Formats: sequence, C-alpha cells, structure tokens
Amino acid sequence: MLKKRIIITLTFLDGVLFRTKNFKPDYRYTKNFIDLWSIDELLLIDISKKKFSKNFLNTIKYFTENCFVPITVGGGIKKIQDADLYFKNGADKILLGTHDLEKSNMIEDISKKYGSQSIIQSIDCKKKSKNEYTVMTNSGNSNLENNVILYGKKALKQGAGEILINSIDNDGSLLGYDMQLVNLISRNLNSPLLALGGGGNWNHLLELFLKTNISAACTQNIFHFTEESILSAKKFLKQNNINIRH
Amino acid sequence: MIGLIDINTGNLASLVSALSKLNIKFKICKKRHDFESLNKFILPGVGAYDDFMKKLINLKFDKIIQKKISNNCSFLGICVGYQVLFNGSSEHGMHEGLNIIKGKFVNFIDENKNIKIPHVGWNECKLINKNELFYEIKDNSDFYFTHSYILKDFDKENIASKTNYIVDFVSAVNFKNVYGVQFHPEKSQLNGLKLLKNFNERC
Repeated sequence: MLKKRIIITLTFLDGVLFRTKNFKPDYRYTKNFIDLWSIDELLLIDISKKKFSKNFLNTIKYFTENCFVPITVGGGIKKIQDADLYFKNGADKILLGTHDLEKSNMIEDISKKYGSQSIIQSIDCKKKSKNEYTVMTNSGNSNLENNVILYGKKALKQGAGEILINSIDNDGSLLGYDMQLVNLISRNLNSPLLALGGGGNWNHLLELFLKTNISAACTQNIFHFTEESILSAKKFLKQNNINIRH
Repeated sequence: MIGLIDINTGNLASLVSALSKLNIKFKICKKRHDFESLNKFILPGVGAYDDFMKKLINLKFDKIIQKKISNNCSFLGICVGYQVLFNGSSEHGMHEGLNIIKGKFVNFIDENKNIKIPHVGWNECKLINKNELFYEIKDNSDFYFTHSYILKDFDKENIASKTNYIVDFVSAVNFKNVYGVQFHPEKSQLNGLKLLKNFNERC
C-alpha cells in the first residue's frame, strides 16, 4: 500500500536555513539538524530576494549528494530555463509558486521536457470568510483569483503532477493544518495533494492524515524533527494506524 | 565499470550521487563510442515515453542497446528507462518501445477510473521470482515511485516484484540478463542503494 509521506520543508535566505512565519523569515537553523536517513522526501525553497545564487545551488547539491530521497526545489521559477538550473543541480521535482496560469506556458514547457511527475504546483490560499478561500500570488501579497479549485484544475490540465496546498494563514502558526481547506480541495482534484502550513506537533500530522485524504504532510518546523524525533513521530503515527514508512 | 546512458533528459545527478556513494565506477555514455568495451549498463529515465524513445532513436542508442543486450551485457532500466524495454506504451497515443521484453504500458486510469495519478511516494515491493537484484532485500521493502503507467500483457515468469496501488501491478522484472524497475532505486535510500550494489556485484 502507498505510504503517507512526511516532507521536510526547508526555506533558505541567502543560503542560510530559516523557518518562516506568515511567509516571512523567522528563525535560523543549521542543516545539521536534519537526520538525512529518516526523511521520506525534501522540499527546498529559496526565499532570498536574489534567486539562483551560487549559495543556494550549492545547497541543492549538498542534499543531492547526501540523501537519497526525492528532492523538490522551489523559489523564483518564472520560465523553463530557471527550472533547468534546478534540475541540473540535482532537483527531482520543482515547485512552482502561484502564478497567473493564463499568462504562462511554464507548466506545459516543463512537463514536456521533464514529465508531469516533476512538477508540484503550489496554491497559496488565504481564508476570505468562513468557507471561502482565495488564491494569492506575489508572496501572498496580491489576490490572483477567487476559486482555489478552479486554479488547481487548470494547473493539472496544463501538466502539473502534484498540488501543494499552502495555507498562508497557518504558515508558521504551529496551530495545525487547515483541514477545511485540504478537504475542500481534495474532494475536487484527482491528483496527489500535499499540505503545508501549520504543522507544529505530531498530533497535527495525525489529525491531518485521519481527517483528510492528503498524500503528504509538509512540515518546516524541524525543531520537532531532530534526529530522534523524525523516527519518534513516525512511530507515533504508526501506533495510530497511519500507513507510514519506517 | 557501469555505463550510465545519458540521452540528455536533464537529470543524472541523483544516480551519479548514488553510484559515487557506493564507490561504483561508472562512465557516462553520451556518444556511441562511449559504449565500447563496456558490458554493464543503466538506463535511467524521466519524462514522456514517446519523447524518450525519439531521443534514443535520434542518437541511434536503440540499436546499440539492443545489440549490447543480445551480446549478453547486463542491463538495468529505471522508470521510463524500464518501460522502453517492452513493446510499447499508450502514453500520448500508441508508441513502440525497444521490444526486448514482452508487454506494453497502459494508464492506471484504464484499470480503475478513481485512481489518483501519478502514483507518487513510497510503496512496498512484494518479491515474486527470486533474483540477484533483490539479494538480501527484505520482502515488502519500500521503494520510491512516481509514474502513471503500468505493465500489461507480460509473461509471468519475468516478474521480479509486484506492488499494490488500488490495483496490483508489476514493479520489477528480470528477463535473462535484463533487469527493470518501475521505482527509483537512486531515490529509495538504503533499499535502493542495496539494489544498485546488487546490480553492480551480482547481475
């Protein structure tokens, strides 16, 4: 049976590892915190102003050479040449930020060259009212469109392989994932879905896996995932009958 | 020495890292003469089937691979590099493969409309017919998958492992000196490294 995935998400500011809160750099880490042998998958995101710096590309290389799990890289991809650079440095997949799908052929171009399985499209979602979410772009600063499901459907049609549901409101809050948002999207999209934003402890992961149909939980708050705790988190989930790789 | 076949699909980095970690000597085969004197090959593959086959044919690697295999060289195909070893695939219309092993690829959705594709993540390989590729790898070990097409019309005796994702499908094969895996050993941590080591030492 297909296992539920835990994706360790690392954000980098000028090559230095940071945690973010509400999409802004918040807390500094070192990459030695991460137990490379217990993780299922890695997501590396560059949040620097100047993208594609040597520092960040070297960071990708470091992880490619030291852990043998799928590595997704994101940050600043606006055209296929940007993606080429990440793939060349060892990315298996790339993460595309929320962008105007009508004005770009980026997804088609990349999927033609590298295949759909290599593209994760992020939907940056912001809660508007009790049951309504809007799609935000430009680091969560401007409204792109009002229908999160329609956006996801369009991205998949253009050739994205997986969708990352990114909750701006819950980012860095450690209050748990937005279950309502995840369920809203998973009921309507027929692709693997990843959730990001809000995971603060093991119970949040458990709750997410129990109450939604999500394929993977992304978590960037690696204080909870130092050497012992990735394994312990997995053990905890397993004891609670979540189908997890151990 | 393993020949790592490069048809310029963009990403050999992870396989290079894995082989380097294992201290396995390899040579990247970009041109026809790179294949000379080698007798063990890995064909990694990403992207779409037809595009991948076109690139193989344009480089005239299709003929070299067929010849090397008939000359008894050991061969490991990974993901799309595994799929092209068979007769064909229905991805983006029907396309012919290298016709080395019997079988063709169809979409998961042709088997069950409710399956979410691609099949992405860690899943178990149930070992079927014993072979050296899986030497000392436990039954039901996890490997990393990412694909939407599965093998049909195959010969049962070639199956090395099966995996379940709503439906059962073939996840590894062995036909004489040819091995193929649908998953990515270079992305499957210890199990994957062990499998690559086995291919180098025992296949």
